[in-house]
Amino acid sequence: MEGRLANSWRLTVNDKNFIKTALLSEIRIDGRKPFEYRKISIKFGREDGSSEVQLGQTRVMGMVTAQLVQPYRDRPKEGILSIFTEFSPMADPSFEPGRPGELAVELGRIIDRGLRESRAVDTESLCILASKFVWAIRIDLHILDNGGNLVDAANIAALAALLTFRRPECSLGGEDGQEVIVHPPEIREPLPLTVHHLPIAISFGFFSNESILVIDPTHNEEAVMGGRMTTTVNANGDICAIQKSGGEGVPQRVIMQCLQLATSKAASITKQIKDAVEVVNTERALRKVKRHPTSTGVDVREKQN
Amino acid sequence: MENKQSSSPASFVDSTVVPGDVVLDLSSMTNQTIKLGGGLRQDCDAISATKAGTLRFSKPNKYWIESSQKRYVPCVEDTILGIVVDSKADNFLIDIKGPAMGFLPVLAFEGGTRRNIPKFEVGTLLYLRVVKANFGMNPELSCTDASGKAAEFGPLKDGYMFETSTGLSRKLLSSPACPVLEALGKKLSFEIAVGLNGRVWVNAASPDTIVVVANAIMNSECLSGAQQIIMVDHLLKNIQ
Repeated sequence: MEGRLANSWRLTVNDKNFIKTALLSEIRIDGRKPFEYRKISIKFGREDGSSEVQLGQTRVMGMVTAQLVQPYRDRPKEGILSIFTEFSPMADPSFEPGRPGELAVELGRIIDRGLRESRAVDTESLCILASKFVWAIRIDLHILDNGGNLVDAANIAALAALLTFRRPECSLGGEDGQEVIVHPPEIREPLPLTVHHLPIAISFGFFSNESILVIDPTHNEEAVMGGRMTTTVNANGDICAIQKSGGEGVPQRVIMQCLQLATSKAASITKQIKDAVEVVNTERALRKVKRHPTSTGVDVREKQN
Repeated sequence: MENKQSSSPASFVDSTVVPGDVVLDLSSMTNQTIKLGGGLRQDCDAISATKAGTLRFSKPNKYWIESSQKRYVPCVEDTILGIVVDSKADNFLIDIKGPAMGFLPVLAFEGGTRRNIPKFEVGTLLYLRVVKANFGMNPELSCTDASGKAAEFGPLKDGYMFETSTGLSRKLLSSPACPVLEALGKKLSFEIAVGLNGRVWVNAASPDTIVVVANAIMNSECLSGAQQIIMVDHLLKNIQ
């Protein structure tokens, strides 16, 4: 038992008091203002559908894969979307390998609800043959480093991965048109997923003194705050999901204030994701352009002689 | 490669070595006493490195390996910052960012007797000295210096504590003063306690001074002296 005690991260009494006192004068320990987001950097891997997002010190990696399966019986014409989270022990000393803990399940549910309930990903276009074959999209989120606010970072990673994922094209064939032929990427260009809008999760932290509100809490602030709320909104101003599990109570006007703040932040984050995805797509498209093998440079000087 | 090993030991000083490198050959240095510090081991006539880092030499005869890690390995006579985790009958259990918990005997205070045992709540930050540190055993700590006086050891009130690497803590404690601390000290007044286990505590009159000092120190790890001064000027300009 002592060995495990030696490895956990601790917060001192001094830090707890300091974070609360500093917030009274609207100062956060990393120098941000209460409603300022940390810097987001979105990177992509070599494969389609892999992304790595860094939000301050928090790092999350997202990976999207697809498989042909039989659809659920009550939804024969829709594809399947599932999210798996893995809290790697290298992210935080309190993460244990093996079964996902409460935090991991909650994070998966928030992202899942944001994508599924708001119908951000068009599942009907994933159906190839009703009741027989549909695409099952699987999003894997690996938490690599916990610097606070895992939900937001994981959500951005999931969206970035979904936007750059390409699924193989398939057509119906066989004698009675009941067989599905999956074309390899060299023969037919793989297709992107239909994503209607981007639901962005924005997290808030509540502190007990004077109902102070901060956006995008860091690891230290999360240990000190009294309650948290995650709102998932999109750039059009639609509220996709709200999650507030336990913690202290907040008055209604604070919730409305949070929603307004979230909508304004969502617009800028959506733009950032779309720009990053655009850059990667252009780069990949340029790599695929095949140059004619017989075109060679002509030496102009020869003609002058 | 064999030629390099038999040349003078000065060739390895101040260069990076990895575990297994033979850094000194004693057969070429007779009638000399040399002192080996941390990270070096003697195998008959060869001195080899057991830690990755830079080999340092100080006159007349001390050699050691310097490296910076986030983990702390307790060493005797180090001054560190520890957090109280639990209190038992004889000791307080202290977290010192090392492989095992440190034990602080309840009597290891100036004028400490069984009647006036201090009460520390869980989470109190203490400035301590390492008395015993053996492999496999919990290190023993103390709140007094070697002669039994309090000498600034003990609980730290208010302020803010943050974690750094062990290399940065050593740089902050070096003399002459580290450029970042000098530059900050010219404009701001603050109090600072540095633990060799990679913890630093800052206190000042206003919260924004504390935040600036903490962020300046955290950013200064990879910067050279001149860059540190530029960074501090930049940060101070942003507040004023």
